[in-house]
Amino acid sequence: MLTKNDLARYERQILYPDLGEKGQKRLKQSQVVVAGLGGLGCSASLYLTCAGVGHVTLIDCDRVELSNLNRQVLHYEEDIGEKKPFSAAQKLAKLNSSIEVIPVFKKITAQNASKIIKGANLVIDGMDNFKTRFIVNKACVAEGIPFIHGGVHGLFGEVTTILPGRTPCLACIFPEVPQRKVSLPVFGVTPALIAILQVTEAIKLLAGFGSLLTEKMLYFNGDTMDFTFRNLVKNQNCRVCGTKKV
Amino acid sequence: MSIKVRLHPILQNLAGGQELVEVIGHTTGECLEDLEIRFPVIKQLIRDKRGQLRRYCEILVNSKSTYPKELTTPVKDGDQIDIMIFVAGG
Repeated sequence: MLTKNDLARYERQILYPDLGEKGQKRLKQSQVVVAGLGGLGCSASLYLTCAGVGHVTLIDCDRVELSNLNRQVLHYEEDIGEKKPFSAAQKLAKLNSSIEVIPVFKKITAQNASKIIKGANLVIDGMDNFKTRFIVNKACVAEGIPFIHGGVHGLFGEVTTILPGRTPCLACIFPEVPQRKVSLPVFGVTPALIAILQVTEAIKLLAGFGSLLTEKMLYFNGDTMDFTFRNLVKNQNCRVCGTKKV
Repeated sequence: MSIKVRLHPILQNLAGGQELVEVIGHTTGECLEDLEIRFPVIKQLIRDKRGQLRRYCEILVNSKSTYPKELTTPVKDGDQIDIMIFVAGG
């Protein structure tokens, strides 16, 4: 049920015919897990909170560092040393006290991933490494939870939405988990833009309107200001979601 | 014989801004070698020191995965090879 405050707060988006009060109510009833509170996760959780998603879980195992502040917009100088999920949750609670923000300071592992995401309507990829992304991808497929992938490098970013069992998952495209973990170049604007595209996908998916970035990867090249696509095809032999797993 | 390699946007800057490069070869590996001769810097990004394809790269032919035969999949006239790169930053 939307309250009088909800109707006032979300008035301008409720005016959007495909959302309306019905869609807003769906957002309010939804639970979203934001995996990673870096550049992607900060911007994504900010806009999920603005939009009125009722329950937002923030998970990360890192603490705020000075070098994070060029892109991780929910962490301030005074937060250096603080646990990222708590730093982010404090700001989000001030932005929108009518939603539930659940900070979880924990490393996502193959053992706990399914438990962490269980019951969520979708998971937003805010992670900064290959390994954890593939763990969450696998858990989302196992639990049947949509996974909105985002990744950035410098002024380049990518987004795709994965509907488990129906559309290609990350392992369909990249069958082996890359091992590399190094500091990558990144501007603040790149994860902000990609995160906003991820949340656009989340809002449509949760409220049930529009078309989604499924079976295709959207690429953003900030150097040339090009948006391009690649079609993705489900791999029947995929070790995670294939029907003929090898 | 016309086979095109469509470069991932990260690689396009290394190939003078080109998205599609016409190559010669009977397999994906031969086509990539032809590409790498013209743009050696691409080789540094997609292969390791032993010449193996890096794990964050994948090769598609006509949008379909070639795994585990990324460098040995036969190609024919009109095929399009995509070099995919997994972007890990967040």
